[in-house]
Amino acid sequence: MNTKLKVSEISKIYPGCIANDKVSLEFGSGKIYALLGENGAGKSTLVKILSGVVKPDDGEVFLNNESIKLNSPLDAKKNNIGMVFQHFNLFETLSVFENLSIDSDKKDEELRELVNDILKKYNFKIDLDIPVLNLSAGQKQKVEIIRCLIRNPKVLIMDEPTSVLTEQETDDLFISLKQFSKDGILIIYITHKLKEVLSLCDEVAVMRKGKVVSVSNTIDEKIESLANKMVGENLNTIKKKINNFKNSKEILKISNLNFKSDDPYETNLNNLNLSLKKGECLGIAGISGNGQNELFQILSGEIITKGTSIMFRNKEIGKLNPRERREYLMAFSPEDRISQAAVPELKIYENVALNNFKSSNFFEKGLVNEKKIKEHSKKILSNFSVNTDNVELKSQFLSGGNLQKLIIGRELITSPELLVCFNPTWGLDVGAINYIHETLIQINEQGKSSILISTDNDELLKLSDRICVIYKGKLSKIMNADTVTAEKLGILMGGGSID
Amino acid sequence: MIKVEKRNDVSRSIYFLTPVLAIFLTLFGGGIIFFILGFNPIEALKFFFITPISDLYGLSELLVKATPLCLIAIGLSFCFKSNNWNIGAEGQLIFGGIVGGGVALLFYNHDGFYVLPIIILSGAFGGMLFAMIPAILKTYFNTNEILVSLMLVYVAKLLLDYLVVGPWSNPEGFNFPETRQFSESARMPILFDGLRIHAGIFITLITVFLSWLVLYKTYLGFQIKVSGLSLKTAKYAGFKGKTMIIFVFMISGACAGLAGVGEITGPIGQLHRNISPDYGFTAIIVAFLGRLNPIGIIFASLIVALTYLGAETAQIFLQVPKYTGQVFQGMILFFLLGSDYLLFFKIKFLGLKKNEL
Repeated sequence: MNTKLKVSEISKIYPGCIANDKVSLEFGSGKIYALLGENGAGKSTLVKILSGVVKPDDGEVFLNNESIKLNSPLDAKKNNIGMVFQHFNLFETLSVFENLSIDSDKKDEELRELVNDILKKYNFKIDLDIPVLNLSAGQKQKVEIIRCLIRNPKVLIMDEPTSVLTEQETDDLFISLKQFSKDGILIIYITHKLKEVLSLCDEVAVMRKGKVVSVSNTIDEKIESLANKMVGENLNTIKKKINNFKNSKEILKISNLNFKSDDPYETNLNNLNLSLKKGECLGIAGISGNGQNELFQILSGEIITKGTSIMFRNKEIGKLNPRERREYLMAFSPEDRISQAAVPELKIYENVALNNFKSSNFFEKGLVNEKKIKEHSKKILSNFSVNTDNVELKSQFLSGGNLQKLIIGRELITSPELLVCFNPTWGLDVGAINYIHETLIQINEQGKSSILISTDNDELLKLSDRICVIYKGKLSKIMNADTVTAEKLGILMGGGSID
Repeated sequence: MIKVEKRNDVSRSIYFLTPVLAIFLTLFGGGIIFFILGFNPIEALKFFFITPISDLYGLSELLVKATPLCLIAIGLSFCFKSNNWNIGAEGQLIFGGIVGGGVALLFYNHDGFYVLPIIILSGAFGGMLFAMIPAILKTYFNTNEILVSLMLVYVAKLLLDYLVVGPWSNPEGFNFPETRQFSESARMPILFDGLRIHAGIFITLITVFLSWLVLYKTYLGFQIKVSGLSLKTAKYAGFKGKTMIIFVFMISGACAGLAGVGEITGPIGQLHRNISPDYGFTAIIVAFLGRLNPIGIIFASLIVALTYLGAETAQIFLQVPKYTGQVFQGMILFFLLGSDYLLFFKIKFLGLKKNEL
């Protein structure tokens, strides 16, 4: 069975941005297609159009040379187009089988037989009768895939499927995807990870600013060539000097810290030990949800612990709240930049005032010193090349990259001794990522320390002097970065052990 | 197909003009209601909104009604701005009235310049204490402040009922459910002879000014603003969340308590069952109509006060029940919420495109 999918002159315009600009692409079964692009390049809009979630303003979709209307996700299902989203749409408390039977009109016995066949055929190992919340991210994704396979899809679209997976789970996924492709399913794989494109896909279409800028066979491409097409400029890759911190002073020490949460959706932290030296960057890897959030909050003071458990520059700070810790020259850049690190409805200078420390004199005798805050904000905007000089602008009008520059700038302009950041480049485009990375390297060079909690292994390997992995609330041994490889991290992140 | 989209470019001037639009829509809607009831809508609206304030006495009455509304709404704006949904201002008003009234009865036949200030302060204190109940339950026991503050309204009402019928009832009052008339030293000074407007209006104006100062010019106001927009951010910035919840409730309760004590020492002069025509609830409408902005709240309180007066005149001249006033208050809120929805979201009517046929 041959499947041909063609999109022709698809356009979708959102207020203030053209998400898809006359996109035309052709796909045929038997191959795996990569759709590559930065965040905001228009890939997601295109796949949402293909899966019926978004309606295009213009253009048509052809399946086997027939024009099809995709007005709703149901239409996509009817046309045998399956989609696995980046975020899972599963009922956590229902069993795997119940999740599968919800949107199937087959009888239970029939469905179970069909699912068992699929499990056998693709060598998936999933217990159908346990609740979904007990599954790992990789298994949940398999459930989503099975949900598509039940419907005999002609087209399977995967939206950044590896963002939540370990290296091993990623390998497994690729094997399955290749098998599906052999069985005649047309696979469209959306990603911004270049390595995956090269190792998995046959053809790659690169999108930039809503347009398709290139379609080529992956055999003809290299990482550098794809990166250049994706970004549209030649990237200078930054490399960090590996330093030796044997003689540096220790500035942070956490010993035997335990955290037990009342909230079942939070992760408990067990017997945490770490130390950090002046000028050093400690990377903490891990798949999201393994305690990073809690660790960040313990470092920032959003979670208060015993006074003695955290020593910062020889002071006990465990009991201090974030504002008090800032007085001791700590700074924090949380993961959620949109609704935690800044408030979208507030103006830039008001967001700057969130980092209030004694010497700033933002608030004198309890009164707001607007002039001072604005001056300070102007300095941040220009020093950290934020793309505006209007401190009265509401921060919701800043792009992700500019907002993150503003936040990092706000945190760094006080010259803190320690910056704790959590996924600082998550969702940013390559230009902004480079800028943030350069900044983080710079502060280490100035003798300031940093802790980088991140789910992006490349970033960790690039920036850290030492790396450890957090898994189920426990930290692994801390390793020197030059001895660590992505594979090692992958094993540790998946709960394995290395010698 | 109808599609609703969020607008992200709401202009500030339109944001403050929509309440005015809501008021005009209310007038229009009210006109239609009067028309259906068989009145000439223009005439009826004139009775409702013009006649009551066409003389000096009417204007003074308008201010008498606006004084407590504005005061309570200002207090509520502290709560609402920081995402604390105190809807029990009526209870805090009554409790403030009870405490203030109790002190006034204590000073019965007592002269001295200190009597009135003590009564006023104890009223504010009473409202404050009463508002701290939902605040403390919310911060330490995770209860829902909407329910607790609302239910406490009935507690306060029943307590007042008990007191005026039982222990505090006027010994010479032939068992009417009311206390003695307070002595002269316990009454708010009247500003003009023959009019009911009293010194409480200064308390309100001072409170408005102080609130503006606190909300817009202090670190505390900044913390309230940030907490209202994002609790996560407030925590990240190191603001003391629990202390602030209790603080805004205290302010709000104190304002409601002041309004209560202003009523009983002002126009009423004693405690009885109905010391407030639901000022505490109506003030919620005032707070939102005024966009939680001190200046806005002043204007909003005048307009909503007018619906109270209008209802009374309409009852006399048109023989419609005085509850028409509440209908108008409801319509104001309805049209305000409706136009807000259109302000923050746009609705697109997507006709069937020809390629869909």
